[in-house]
Amino acid sequence: MDMKRKFWIGLISMTFCSAVVAQDDLLADLVKEDSSKVKENITIATFKSTRVVNMHSVEMTGDGNLQFMIIHHFGAIWDKNEGASNLARLFGLNASFASTYMSFDYTPIRWMNLGIAWAGASTMEGTAKFKLLRQQSGVRNYPVSVAWVSTANFNASKQLESPNSFYWNRFSYLNQLLIGRKFSDLLSLQLTPAVIHRNIVAYGNSDAHTVFSVGLGGRVKLSDKQAITFEYNRQLNGYENVVDKTGAIISYSPNLISLGYDWDTGGHIFQFFFTNSSFASNLPQLSANPVRDSFGQWSIGFNLNRSYAIKKKVKTQ
Amino acid sequence: MVNMKEVLLAGILMMITTVVCGQTYKTRDGNIYFNPNKNQSNKEYSALSKEGTAVLKLETSEVAFLVPMKSFHFNNALLEEHFNENYLHTNKFPNGTYRGKLIGFDKAMLAKDGEYKMSSEGKVEMHGVTRDFTSPVTLSVKGGVATFKCIFNIKAADYNITIPDMVKPKLAEATPLDATISFKMN
Repeated sequence: MDMKRKFWIGLISMTFCSAVVAQDDLLADLVKEDSSKVKENITIATFKSTRVVNMHSVEMTGDGNLQFMIIHHFGAIWDKNEGASNLARLFGLNASFASTYMSFDYTPIRWMNLGIAWAGASTMEGTAKFKLLRQQSGVRNYPVSVAWVSTANFNASKQLESPNSFYWNRFSYLNQLLIGRKFSDLLSLQLTPAVIHRNIVAYGNSDAHTVFSVGLGGRVKLSDKQAITFEYNRQLNGYENVVDKTGAIISYSPNLISLGYDWDTGGHIFQFFFTNSSFASNLPQLSANPVRDSFGQWSIGFNLNRSYAIKKKVKTQ
Repeated sequence: MVNMKEVLLAGILMMITTVVCGQTYKTRDGNIYFNPNKNQSNKEYSALSKEGTAVLKLETSEVAFLVPMKSFHFNNALLEEHFNENYLHTNKFPNGTYRGKLIGFDKAMLAKDGEYKMSSEGKVEMHGVTRDFTSPVTLSVKGGVATFKCIFNIKAADYNITIPDMVKPKLAEATPLDATISFKMN
């Protein structure tokens, strides 16, 4: 009898309780369901651009997007020999020397980007960039984003170091591993080890076919639209007592230093910087960077990029 | 030692429980599309989310809707990044929600194929701001599926969304959004 009584009490109270519970919050139900899902939190915007300053960043051009980029390095900011005309030359902006790099790159699949560039000084480059790992939390936890960039540089100029201007001797290759982490909304850092291989180098004891370098770059965000950027790359070999174009023995600077400012206008990213290389292509920057002792010998440069959506993923209605 | 009368009573009570609890329909088939451009025929900057979830309670005509803000995808990757980082701050405010009632809705509509006009009133919460909301809604019932369609306007400023001056002239005063939510009725 007792069991039956308990049963009835239970059932009747359930009927009344459900009448109360029936007023439950529908939205709370959805919110609970949403927060109980284990999500994939992929870190976005580690850097605003596909370049930190001079080096490629772990960011890829968007899936199905075509990016046009211009990189321009002006002449020396203040040439000791020019005196007052440095002002007239607008701190190198109007000086005779400038190096311009223009590229188009396209991402046919989210993790692969292919590009072609006119790299200045009669050279052309082809790049292939692969996103190997995306920094994320949630379903999977990866502390860093990793990418790989392979660049083939073809020197099309009439005069080359070697009297032998055989076709394959005009190629040099740059391979970089990019390891970047967004530490917080404010700070992102990236490590960039690189190896350059040159098919032909001037004959000399120290001229190496293969040159290694390591770099560290980063960005400190000042606001939604502005950031400060910095980069230091150190060449590890092949810069001392090498034979240059004219047969002279010179030493290059193993240091590539840059300090910059990023400005996001909404449609473009402008990256302005001071750097101690007046070359716009990574290859001479990392392997044949003339020594610039004073800040006056540095160059002002800028990167400007603009992307266009080619693949339409959003079906318009 | 259970007799028929008791079984019947227990059965009736359990049925009452179900009826009083009310039938609710849940769906993961909620799409929201919007084109923020001033010139609506230019669809370049439009966005689409296919990850809205909704629940409808028949007895009270109550509805609730939730969409993860990161599920809005754009064709232009930079625009999607700006949407998440600069405009909607989706890391801080991950969801957009709606809680309200359907006015002019009758559960008998679900039984017959057809098009029904009604409206909805409630509260929208997005980017940390809660606002009253009202809009006409169309319901189409066909082949066991009930689809609610609602076209409504959102003003960015109403939700503390700051659009930079360079971009403002290109955007519509109030962005029209198109929400389509489908419930399977079996």
